[in-house]
Amino acid sequence: MTIIPFPARGPRRYGDPVVTGAMAFEDEQDESVHVLASRLVDGDETALEEVYDRWSSLIHTYALRALRDSHDAEDVTQQVFVAAWRSRHTLTPSPAALPAWLVGIARHKVADLRAARARDADRLAAVVSLPGTHDDAIQAADDEVAERLVVRQAVEELPDPRRTIVFLAFWEERSHAEIAEKVGLPLGTVKSHVRRGLMKLHQQLEGVRHESR
Amino acid sequence: MSHVDPEQLAGLALDPTDGPADVREHAETCPECAGLVAAFTGVRRRAGADALVPPPAALRAQVLAEVRSGDAEPQPRSAPAGPARRRGVPLWLAGVAAALALLAGIGLGRIGTSGDDTPEAVEPPTGAGTVVAAAPLTALDSDAARGEAEAVQTDETFTIRVSASELGDEPGVHEVWLINVDGKRMISIGLLAAGDEGEFAVPMDLIDEGYRIVDISVEPDDGDPTHSGVSVARGELA
Repeated sequence: MTIIPFPARGPRRYGDPVVTGAMAFEDEQDESVHVLASRLVDGDETALEEVYDRWSSLIHTYALRALRDSHDAEDVTQQVFVAAWRSRHTLTPSPAALPAWLVGIARHKVADLRAARARDADRLAAVVSLPGTHDDAIQAADDEVAERLVVRQAVEELPDPRRTIVFLAFWEERSHAEIAEKVGLPLGTVKSHVRRGLMKLHQQLEGVRHESR
Repeated sequence: MSHVDPEQLAGLALDPTDGPADVREHAETCPECAGLVAAFTGVRRRAGADALVPPPAALRAQVLAEVRSGDAEPQPRSAPAGPARRRGVPLWLAGVAAALALLAGIGLGRIGTSGDDTPEAVEPPTGAGTVVAAAPLTALDSDAARGEAEAVQTDETFTIRVSASELGDEPGVHEVWLINVDGKRMISIGLLAAGDEGEFAVPMDLIDEGYRIVDISVEPDDGDPTHSGVSVARGELA
């Protein structure tokens, strides 16, 4: 499998425009997310439970990778879902709104905790060796982690056999022919699943990018 | 030609040779199609993350409990953040807090005894002791002079005597710190309470341990006992 180099436009950041209208493709969106978001906004506590069950792993893993401390990661996870409940009125329901919103809250909580750590310990380094702000680099690394985890979750949520096929293709780097043999589907079908799977992952990622700022 | 079907572009992102020549050519020259191929490629590049790690099972109940208890109170937001933050306070900060508490105590003591004519309660007899080390203080972003600091030793005491100048008019109080030459530790020794001069009794051990860099910071009244990061003068005792 060939991976062509990333374009010279520079890395995309949250908030960039999503795919233009002319490029919009078949909408495979999961309406249930939209409905779940509406229930949350309406103050349905069972909606919060469902939101937690579906995205707590994503948020927890993000916090864990960003902070590298299991205790802090649990703290942040708890803070994110409590904050999500308390500020649910600010959520505008849309298919990608929930994960995007939760990731956005998590980014802030992680930043808060980092700032607290900096006040406690790193400030000395800042005082002694003066400026050298690398906050942007840290933020960029966090964003990259968040995107990779969003992609991971999006794969997990694909219906089978697409999930298995995409997993074999992207995670295990199997060729289409190998996958076709393994799952017992025609080569053309496998190819289509991989392509459509990639489109779906892209759609999920764009949704999160677009809405998390 | 018209835009390429996104599914074909997804195919090109996975294998640039996968597709008819006219499709490939369009995808290379049309900014929109090329952009989508690049976006798909970026997504492909982000595949491969390890499995997500669920939080401990008990956390779910904690979240729901906090949500339910929080609904009863109108302003619960700051409550959970406080303790979580305090957990990470390192020892040296506790030391700073203790030093500040001590200063506050001294301040109160002075107020309480203001009838006595001992305005410089912490000042040892002037002229006593030997200057064992001194440092010119300078600004950090230039060599501009900002006064001087001395380490003065008597039989029983050890003090840092600061006589600063031109510290600027940034709002806040001037706090004096000793930074260790190892660049990893610092401690507050007090405030320039009146003007630009002050004397601060410190344990001699501190100097022996390498706390030799005198630093003066501007501290806003923000309730944060740590160094603001704004240093207006500095010098190393030698």
